[in-house]
Order: sequence, then structure tokens, then C-alpha cells
Amino acid sequence: MPIVVEKLNHVYMTGSALAFNAVEDVSLTVNEGEFLCVIGHTGSGKSTLVQHFNGLMQPSSGRVVVDGADMCDKKMRRLGRQLVGMVFQYPEYQLFEETVFKDIAFGPKNMGLSADEISLRVADAMRFVGLDFDKFAEKSPFDLSGGEKRRAALAGIIAMHPKYLVLDEPMAGLDPSGRRSVLDMLVRLQKENGTGIVMVSHSMDDIARVADRVAVMNKGRLVMCDTPENIFNHSDELVKMGLDVPQAVKLADALLKRGVDLGGGLCTEDELFTRIMEITRHV
Amino acid sequence: MFKDITLGQYFPGNSVIHRLDPRTKLAAMIIYIAMVFSVKTMALYAAVAVFLVALLLISRIPVSYVFKAVKPMRWLLVFMFIINMFLIKSGRVIFSWKFITLTVDGIEQAFFIVIRLVLLVCGTSLLTLTTTPISLTDGLERIMSPLAKIKFPAHELAMMMMIALRFIPTLLEEAERIMKAQAARGADFESGNIFKRAKNMIPILIPLFISAFRRADELAMAMESRCYTGGEGRTRMKVLKLAPRDLIAFLIAAAMLAGIILAERLVFA
Repeated sequence: MPIVVEKLNHVYMTGSALAFNAVEDVSLTVNEGEFLCVIGHTGSGKSTLVQHFNGLMQPSSGRVVVDGADMCDKKMRRLGRQLVGMVFQYPEYQLFEETVFKDIAFGPKNMGLSADEISLRVADAMRFVGLDFDKFAEKSPFDLSGGEKRRAALAGIIAMHPKYLVLDEPMAGLDPSGRRSVLDMLVRLQKENGTGIVMVSHSMDDIARVADRVAVMNKGRLVMCDTPENIFNHSDELVKMGLDVPQAVKLADALLKRGVDLGGGLCTEDELFTRIMEITRHV
Repeated sequence: MFKDITLGQYFPGNSVIHRLDPRTKLAAMIIYIAMVFSVKTMALYAAVAVFLVALLLISRIPVSYVFKAVKPMRWLLVFMFIINMFLIKSGRVIFSWKFITLTVDGIEQAFFIVIRLVLLVCGTSLLTLTTTPISLTDGLERIMSPLAKIKFPAHELAMMMMIALRFIPTLLEEAERIMKAQAARGADFESGNIFKRAKNMIPILIPLFISAFRRADELAMAMESRCYTGGEGRTRMKVLKLAPRDLIAFLIAAAMLAGIILAERLVFA
């Protein structure tokens, strides 16, 4: 069953002079196994929105229902946190245990799993994120490099086997190879395990490559939610909201202005490449 | 959980009180404290309270906002009340059982102590609510600067205080973020006895300490790379200047104190 968000409102500092409506009347459905990307410039309410998906934040009004469990219900929230894994910005800052193994085991342990099951899941998660078990399991997480820390923190969530994984800018501050490996990992998680993924990101090229759907937030409202091809067709509107479009779209738009029509609905480099090849073949 | 803490918080505004020189406000606060401690009768407590409310109205800070500062100390207040109620044994006895005696004086004194504390907290929060941390430490530094002649580290103390104040909201925010991240991994901070709860805080405290040290390191580096070498030879862009309104404010505060002391001595003695 999907995550259903109905008429969600969230007001910060209710009733004071500083009251501020961060999320306004947002309705949205995250389907099982889909890759949904959320974009919007800083302060558009996207982080606030995604923190409602597992009951970490409570709506001021409206509802969030995860697999039929209402997140306003305190008893259901525990279930919600197991169904929906949440990776915050710079997740490596949440590492605290003495060893990488223990840190990854923190989540599964809180779920009340048996010791055998826990070690199985930790080993699995470490393999998945590409941390060698023998080399890293007994190391202190604080001795790891930045990219390794990030992967260890991700493994801590993946080991909980969430049905949905929500990530707030998971690639921020990583080098290009680190970015690619995290993104590939998420795609694998979706394709192999059928995990539904919600990713907040600013990298339009990455989004064009992996997203099934894109949700655009502006000033607390959900302004568009569609396939990346349709979303990036509205480049003017996106730029007006302080957002960007993928490089491929920029190039296609520039070519169109000079009279070369590649046809709409393209957004990745590969698509751009094949279209250009088609056109040049005719010439 | 952390959103209720208003300690050291600044409430933006442009009232007369906001615009006063921080040194005036610091002096006025000391006078105010002296005032609260010299009062011993109910009527004069009321006078001080009226004075405080008047200041709040002038500063345009919502009264509810100031009372938020009192909320976290409600248990301390209850504790103080009970202790004082039973410790003072003079005056007419209302109730007596074994070693416990309750007297009229005791209840009255306990009541006064609580009022005194509330007035103190509200009054001092008015200072931090109307003064930005920067101008507050600026004022403190200027007040302490004569002491620099005897090698008293006035500038360093002021800078430390400013940094500490500046990082209260940052660390609270950080703590909340880490708390959420651990809650998302199924950590539980709300159930269990006190020992279990203390143990459950470890996943928050360790990352919080690490990030505090990291921030301190980064800040030191950033300050040094902008040529910070301490207070010596440092000049300011905004030099504090006393205005006529500062004199007026100071005189009003001093007159209030004199009036209260006189009233206490002459009318209620």
C-alpha cells in the first residue's frame, strides 16, 4: 500500500508572532516501489514535508497514512518508523557507537530482532553499501573517511529493511565518485529490493536519470508532480522558482532557439545523445 | 521539547527599550535586582510587578513570551515554596504535627520568595529579549574594560560569552536533528525509568559533543583566518554612544529604586 498524504499543513511556532506556515495543503501519494524525487529551493518546505512520512513531525492539520497506518496515532508511529526509513542530511553525524557493526545494529536492535538476525542484516547491509565486513565491522566509525561514514550511516537504515526509504539530500558534500556510488546504491535498492524511494535533491541531472516522478515544492505548496520529462518541459517556471533544469534540457532548449528541434520530453544525456544521432543521420 | 527554551533569546523589535544602550540596560537591570531584593511587603511587590509590566508593554514583547521563560522553572518554584513554608517557624502557628510546623510567617515568606524569583527571571529575560547578544557582550566588554589595566581578560570573557550565547540555538537545533535521526532508527527517549532514559541519551550526546568540538575547531580556524588575535588593538565599526534617552532611562530606574527603598522604610516599617 502507498504512503498517502492528505491536505497536509504544518505551522511552525503556532500562535506566536513568528508563526510560519512551512507546508500548506499538500496532497501526494508515494506508490510502492517508485522513485520519487522532491525538488524546491531552500525553505520551500520539502524537508518538513518528508519528515511527516514516518511520524517524526506531526501535521498541524491533514493526514499522513503509511500502508493504512495513520501517523497521527501514537501506537502506529512505531510501525511507521519501521516501514519508512529516514536518512537525514549529513547522516554521518548520527554515528555514535564504538564499532561500525554496533552502529549499524542500532536500528535492528531497537526493532527487537534476534542476535542472529541482526548480524545477518548488518553483514548484508554492509555488503550492499560496499563496506567490506572483515575490514570495517570492528573499526570505530570515527576512523572512517567521509564517504565511508556516509555509507555506514546509510547501512544503518538499510539494515532495518524499510519498505520506503526517505533521503534528504543524500549526496550533499560528497565527491563525484561518492555521489555516483550513493545514487547507484539507491537505484539498486529500488530495482532489486522493490524499496520505494523518496529523495530530496538539488541535482537535476541525477533526478533526470533516476526519478519515476518528480514533486516540485514552492513556498510550502506542491506546485507540480509528474514524470521528469513533463516537469522539465516547464523550464521557465522552474527557473522562476529558483530551480534549475538538467544540462541535457538546457542544451536542447538552446538548440531549439537556434532552430534545431530535437522534440520535447527528453531529460537525460542518453536521450539527448540518441536524438542528436537520429537528426544527424538524416542530414 | 527544546522549542520552549527562551533563555538568552532575542526578540526582534524597535521599541525605546530595544534602542537603549546595552550599558544602560545592564545598569538598569542591576538596579532592578536591587529593587526586587529590597522589597519586603506585598504592596511594593505589586509596584515592582506594575513597573515590569509597563516595561514589557513599552518593549512590545508579548507577556506570554516572557512567561515562557518561567515555565521551565516551575518545579524549582514549587520546591522553594515548600521548603520555605516549613523552614520558617516564627509567627502564629496554624498547624503543628511532630516536627512539622506551619506558620503564617512561613507561608507569607514562601510566597514572597516565589514572587521574587519570578520577578527576577522575567526582568532579566527582558534584558536578553530586547538586546542582541552582540550588543550585550559589547556593553559588558565596555563596562569591564577599565579592569583590563590589571590584566583582567575583559575582551576574551566577552567574546567567550558571545560565542556561548550564539551557539545555544545552534546546539539546540543540532540536538533536535540528531534526536530525530535516532528516533527514525527506533530509539526511544520517552519510556523507561530514569537510568534507562539516561542510557538512551547516549546516542544523542556522543554525536552532539563531536559536532560541538568540530564546530569549535572550525570557528577558531575561521576567526584566525580573518586575523583575530584577541582584544588588543581591536577597533569597532559601531562604537557605543550614550544618548539622552539613556540618561532618562537610568534616572527613572534609579528613582524607582529610591522610591521603593523610601516607601519600605517610611510607610511600611
